[in-house]
Amino acid sequence: MLRTTGNSRHHGMPRSWHVMVFSVGGRRLAVKTLEVGDIGQWGESIPVPGRTPFVTAVIRRNQTVLPVFDLAAVLCRTIQGNSPLCLRVKHALGDMVICIDEKIPVLQTLDHSVIQAYRGTDVPAEGSYANGEEEIPILSVSRLGMGSW
Amino acid sequence: MSVSAKKEERAAPTSTSPPCFLITTIGGRYLAFEAQLIQGVLANEGVEFLQSPVVQGVLYRAMNLAGRLQLPAERLRERIDVVLLAHEQSRCSVQVQKVHGILEIQRSQVLPLPAQFRGPERRWYRGLILFNCSVALVLNTSWVIEEQIEGGGASVEPLAGESIVALQGAIQSKSPTC
Repeated sequence: MLRTTGNSRHHGMPRSWHVMVFSVGGRRLAVKTLEVGDIGQWGESIPVPGRTPFVTAVIRRNQTVLPVFDLAAVLCRTIQGNSPLCLRVKHALGDMVICIDEKIPVLQTLDHSVIQAYRGTDVPAEGSYANGEEEIPILSVSRLGMGSW
Repeated sequence: MSVSAKKEERAAPTSTSPPCFLITTIGGRYLAFEAQLIQGVLANEGVEFLQSPVVQGVLYRAMNLAGRLQLPAERLRERIDVVLLAHEQSRCSVQVQKVHGILEIQRSQVLPLPAQFRGPERRWYRGLILFNCSVALVLNTSWVIEEQIEGGGASVEPLAGESIVALQGAIQSKSPTC
């Protein structure tokens, strides 16, 4: 389901970041590939009444239950496409999933020199990089759902 | 892991007994009650329960659990089921959309609420149970009854609604077991 693009380098190069670029409501974001569990089709989520911001549901995968982080709500966007995807990320509190646009994510390798501080405040980010006029944040997965950022 | 309606009273549960849960639907969600804290299930057809039921002279104050959980409002139905709960000296009743039956599982099959849920809901649920290709939330009965405890406990004054109350099935015993 993934395709590679950009300036790929040999894995293990110390000065490069391997990221996966995906979209939520048309907004492009990146996440380090080391923090990606897997990607599949989005299934039915099961709402869990509660008061944790942006964590309001779970999904069931066979015998496993994973919390859903509503990144689209964080960004105030609506998921695009009829077949959204399920991005599983590795979080310090346990894996969780994010519903993302149906647009196929792309793997990229970024030279460390192109990574800069993220200027936005809408998502927790470890940094960002420029893609033309667009600034793509590299999500800080460990800070998702951990309060304000 | 199967659901079955219990028809006969059995021995009291021990600490080693597999936990049993009454699986219900409330507001479109599967919600599970700890069976050992259930006093019975009332079934009534054609009449909305408008007040707290009285069973054998004991008042079970109506608890609007759907409202507390902010679940979607239920439309009027022909059949109403009400779960009677007791915890220590407190009692309450909860109207449910549907009673699916009692589920007996191993303790290890009660999954913890994922740690990403960090709000007060951690007190609302005891965990999760895999059920019907979905998930049932195991309610913390103490929390369910909490509002009543804070309100000073239940009165035992009988109300006029007692005559429409009928205990249902095998979980009518005072200390239902599995």
